[in-house]
Amino acid sequence: MVVRVVRSLRSGTPVARSGLAALLPVAGTAVVLAVLPPIWFGRSTYTTGLAIITLVFASYAVGFNVIFGSTSQLFLCVGALAGIGGYATALFSDSASLPVFVGVLLGTLIAAIVGGVLSWIAVRRSLGVIFTGILTLVFSLAFQNLLLGQRQLTGGSTGHELKAAATTLADDRVGGYYLFAALVVIFLIVFRLIQTSHVGWAFRALRDDETAAELTGIDVSRYRVYAAVVGSAMIGLTGGLYAYSDGFINPTTFAFNQIDVLVLVMVVFGGLGSLLGPLLGAGVFEAVDQLLSSSGQIREFLYGLMIVALFLGFRRGLVPALGRLARRPVVPASPLQPRTDDGPAVPSAT
Amino acid sequence: MKGAAAGYLGQKVVEDIDLEVRTGEAVAIVGSNGAGKTTLFRAIVGLLPCMAGRVILDGVDLTRRRAHRVARAGVAYVPAERHLFPAMTVKTNLMLGAYPHRPNRETLELVFDLFPRLKERLGQQAGTMSGGEQQMLAVGRALMTQPKLLMLDEPTTGLAPKVAKAAFEAVERLKATGMTLLIAEQQVPLALSVADRAYVLENGRVRMEGTAEELEHNPEVRRAYLGVA
Amino acid sequence: MKAVLLDGIVLGLGFGLLGVGLTLVYGLGGVLNLAYGELAVLGAMVVSLVKDAGAPLALAAVAGVAAAMAAAVLLDLTVMRPVYRQSGEHRVLLGLLVTLGVAFLIEGLLNWRDPLGALTVDIGGGPIGIFGVPMPMSSIWASAITLGAGAILVVFLGATTFGRAIRSVMQDEVGARLVGISPSFTRTVIFALSGALAGLVAVTSAMSSPLTVTQGFDLTSFALIVTVVGGLGSVTGAFLAGLLLGIVDTLSAYYVGQYITSVVLLGAAGLTILIRPRGLLGR
Repeated sequence: MVVRVVRSLRSGTPVARSGLAALLPVAGTAVVLAVLPPIWFGRSTYTTGLAIITLVFASYAVGFNVIFGSTSQLFLCVGALAGIGGYATALFSDSASLPVFVGVLLGTLIAAIVGGVLSWIAVRRSLGVIFTGILTLVFSLAFQNLLLGQRQLTGGSTGHELKAAATTLADDRVGGYYLFAALVVIFLIVFRLIQTSHVGWAFRALRDDETAAELTGIDVSRYRVYAAVVGSAMIGLTGGLYAYSDGFINPTTFAFNQIDVLVLVMVVFGGLGSLLGPLLGAGVFEAVDQLLSSSGQIREFLYGLMIVALFLGFRRGLVPALGRLARRPVVPASPLQPRTDDGPAVPSAT
Repeated sequence: MKGAAAGYLGQKVVEDIDLEVRTGEAVAIVGSNGAGKTTLFRAIVGLLPCMAGRVILDGVDLTRRRAHRVARAGVAYVPAERHLFPAMTVKTNLMLGAYPHRPNRETLELVFDLFPRLKERLGQQAGTMSGGEQQMLAVGRALMTQPKLLMLDEPTTGLAPKVAKAAFEAVERLKATGMTLLIAEQQVPLALSVADRAYVLENGRVRMEGTAEELEHNPEVRRAYLGVA
Repeated sequence: MKAVLLDGIVLGLGFGLLGVGLTLVYGLGGVLNLAYGELAVLGAMVVSLVKDAGAPLALAAVAGVAAAMAAAVLLDLTVMRPVYRQSGEHRVLLGLLVTLGVAFLIEGLLNWRDPLGALTVDIGGGPIGIFGVPMPMSSIWASAITLGAGAILVVFLGATTFGRAIRSVMQDEVGARLVGISPSFTRTVIFALSGALAGLVAVTSAMSSPLTVTQGFDLTSFALIVTVVGGLGSVTGAFLAGLLLGIVDTLSAYYVGQYITSVVLLGAAGLTILIRPRGLLGR
């Protein structure tokens, strides 16, 4: 079965620059992230805490972007992969009394392996987007239930307190902020390097037309698995570091509706496959979340509304859409799609 | 039936086509692969959007109607890929052809008359039949909609030469019943043998038109399509 | 053992009906409706509302089923239209994402209006012996309703012209259009049917244990598991898988424990995807 690439959901910005110039946007981002605390929220622990959450989600989002944005594998197990990183860190450092950084590394490694195996299965069985989504969703739910069920090991729903947690980081929010800011910047560099490298070209070819990519000699399945391994490692590492810096985790921390849904919204909002989209998406989302927090119970409803509007209205991401609008006000005529039953064909562009 | 121009994937694949089929007539659209025959047909029946032009059947404008409403208005289209319901029996496929109205016994008799094979295979699943039988069923199902105009797109696709010839013999018998036909075909000699008139399509435009006889003797057509020097 | 098995069959029938509602919509247009469980919860809350207003149980149940059905139709006529305008995997993916949003929307709405809402349907009456096992009246009612609904569904899809038209759209959308069948109309009908099934399952499941506002996602995942194991788009497969998983569920819950049971069910779905992605009876 040939899996068609999701054309309407990808962002179409080609990356032509190479070498150090390609890293300029990342450098700019790093500078902005570095100066934010002193000039804005350094003194407020509350705002710094929010900034940390934003950066954690941005890290997840970049990892997810590597997997879904680059190679169209719908991984609905970001929370589970992060949970693997988080719980591995907790268990190895507490129960097995290993140094924390070893725990984080092991967690990252396990997450990378699990993600790679899931992708390998999906590729081997030629599962298309929908079945990859179901498989990974099923994995997420099973993992969640395992966490709840294995009480002796995980603490079940009461959660797990990391004895080896960094007291310094939990207290010193600014330190935590810089840790995750560094993480995001490193992830962005990795993402950019992948984008501009030989592998990146393969990814782009693969996204445009899988069959064509295969015919030009690109080993599609191998690149899929590579992307899944790298992205899963990013997610696992973030989960591990989060557990370490926060000091407390429970199954809800990594639940599907706590992580995956938000990450999906952020990445689509920011523009699938774009470099800074996930970070912007995370920032805007957290800001909106703050605005909504005063609305209390109606918040979830508004989330739902936002998700529906976003996917229906801005299928290529809001940020790229606005960017296009700014660059040229007139959107060129886009190819007509074959007409379906529900009326005249509608151009796929936003 | 009046002219239609349709666009496909942003580029005009066919344009400025004036096409007329009179009641009881068999008209052929001939042309090589990629000339735009299928695009034209799909635009007429509403599977593709018409960007300009009109489609008129007996004074009724069908131009922007959805495909299922064009079908109900009396235009039956048999695509080259047939689009049968593979997991249903021959009988159910035929019955679904009569979906917009009650199944008509006379029409069913006509279908069995044309294709006795279908009567033998009533209980068989459509997906398990041979290519020729599937083509018969596709035409049979289209007839069950009691069309005013029957459009056949490449009825010989994927058929062995002998079976293809048999298919055109069936088309001939169909014409004898007074059915109005519009046939797209790459195999020009076969098409011209049945048609009253024909249009030659090249790169999405009508290159020539005339009665079948005129075209058969046209030196250009002979050179390009009939393999005669 | 016999009692556990019978319980499993009762549960399995409910699973089956739940799966059918999801599988029909998927089979017809490739949309995996992740808001499906929320439709059931919505129906349940309406039942509980009407019941509390003093209406008889039967009337409340009908109102609940009708509400779920109406919500499904509304969904189809609004947000699903742009989804169906896409084709192939675009449609599949967009459908998945949009219905996920709708799931949040409905759950948020219900949580906001009535965070502690729950539906309990009390049937009353003493247990009746079946194969020497005393079965509670609620199980018997639930099974009877489920079997009745299943039978009506099978007749509707298999023996009526409209049912055949629905199956024709599942098999070849273009072919259906060419004989004058409107895919969008059949889809609306199937969405309504799927909503009604969700509402019905909500009522029957509330007969044995309370159905709370927060259970929407659980119901969706159960339906998803049943659908995957039975084969996406297969009605008979969904019923078969429902029965099978119901029995597995009760056996495992009885002998092993709750959380592991969920893992076992999810594992069954995962294994199905690995070994036979088309499911038991999938096309």
